[in-house]
Amino acid sequence: RGAAGGRWRGSPGPSPLTDSPPQALVDDTEDVSLDFGSEEELALRKAKIRHPVATFFHLFFRVSAIITYLFCDWFSNSFVACFVTILLLLSFDFWSVKNVTGRLLVGLRWWNQIDEDGKSHWVFEAKKVPTITASTEAEARIFWLGLIICPVIWTVFLFSTLFSLKLKWLALVIAGISLQTANLYGYIHCKLGGQKSISRTMSRFFVTADVPKRQTRRISEDHIEEHGKTDTN
Amino acid sequence: FAGLADVSISEDIPVEGEITVPVGSHSPDEDFSTLDEPVRDTIMRDLKAVGKKFVHVMYPKKSSTLLRDWDLWGPLVLCVSLALMLQGGSADSKDDGGPQFAEVFVIIWFGAVVITLNSKLLGGTISFFQSLCVLGYCVLPLTVAMLVCRLVLLAGSGTISFIVRLLVVLAMFGWSTLASTAFLADSQPPNRKALVVYPIFLFYFVISWMILTFTPQ
Repeated sequence: RGAAGGRWRGSPGPSPLTDSPPQALVDDTEDVSLDFGSEEELALRKAKIRHPVATFFHLFFRVSAIITYLFCDWFSNSFVACFVTILLLLSFDFWSVKNVTGRLLVGLRWWNQIDEDGKSHWVFEAKKVPTITASTEAEARIFWLGLIICPVIWTVFLFSTLFSLKLKWLALVIAGISLQTANLYGYIHCKLGGQKSISRTMSRFFVTADVPKRQTRRISEDHIEEHGKTDTN
Repeated sequence: FAGLADVSISEDIPVEGEITVPVGSHSPDEDFSTLDEPVRDTIMRDLKAVGKKFVHVMYPKKSSTLLRDWDLWGPLVLCVSLALMLQGGSADSKDDGGPQFAEVFVIIWFGAVVITLNSKLLGGTISFFQSLCVLGYCVLPLTVAMLVCRLVLLAGSGTISFIVRLLVVLAMFGWSTLASTAFLADSQPPNRKALVVYPIFLFYFVISWMILTFTPQ
């Protein structure tokens, strides 16, 4: 009779005529269905790639730098123009992977912080709890593949430059390797640093889901509520 | 207390409450829901930081907050523009200026790394990238000198133009050295300041020499 255990929304209280819990009445009235949100959120949940622009740019700068390096003779006769173009592409790639795509595609971030005494710290951060805009498997796979394959390709270029003695490209290849390896190292460090606390966080997440059902838990501002077990007697 | 003995909550009054489960630590990017806004904000923030540093180089006064936010975009832009202006000025004009371009690059970055290592070995408290940042940004006066020299050379390459170029380059060289010393020397113990300053002096001297001896073909 009393709603001592929870709050019913969208359905009437227990029937004054019978003592049975009003489950039979629920069908006649509003739907007490769990509502996952709007259509867009549903589509977002189902999509394989939730951040198409970020994924595109993650690969765009790296691959263009490699293609420009390989085919620079076709684009322009001038060494200087190719050098500057590739260098700019590599710098934009470094900045975007470090500041944008890592954060969006895999929820990791790393940066350098200098505190007041002038000591520098490298900070590696990993996002722990997934949200609705978190990354998917496909995105994470694309991210890591792009991150690993490109430094390997630049290392191959390094050896080919050394052995074919086209030394004027050496500075550029070394710059490419250092920029891409820096991102790779930073993200691997983030990932490994996050592993330790992942098991701890997951167990905490599951334990709160089993919190005794007498309490209502607010999941979103809207209509989702877990109805507790009601003892109507 | 007899009246209190029978305290009971009537069953018609719902006892309700909410428990909100804190959803993990607040990471700074939970506020960003679209890709456009944060990227634009990030870009504007970085651009403003770069601009502020350029201004600081022109009016060097020591400010520790400036140093803490280091970035290497400014040095990259300056290096590229200086190298572009310096190319194609050597005796063997058969090349398209390729080697000279890469040379300028290597000199600037390698020189900056060596100076940073030197100051760290001498016990400096400044961090590696901070020092690279300062040295790179202080190339700005010399880049301005290069621009002026090229303009003067358009007018003619006689003795007068040489004297004008010499004076401009000397002034900018002094400015660069003073600006970078203002930031870097303070991180050293007092009896070692000269040991730190002279590699900086050499570094900017080499760049000034390249600028002064530049003659277009």
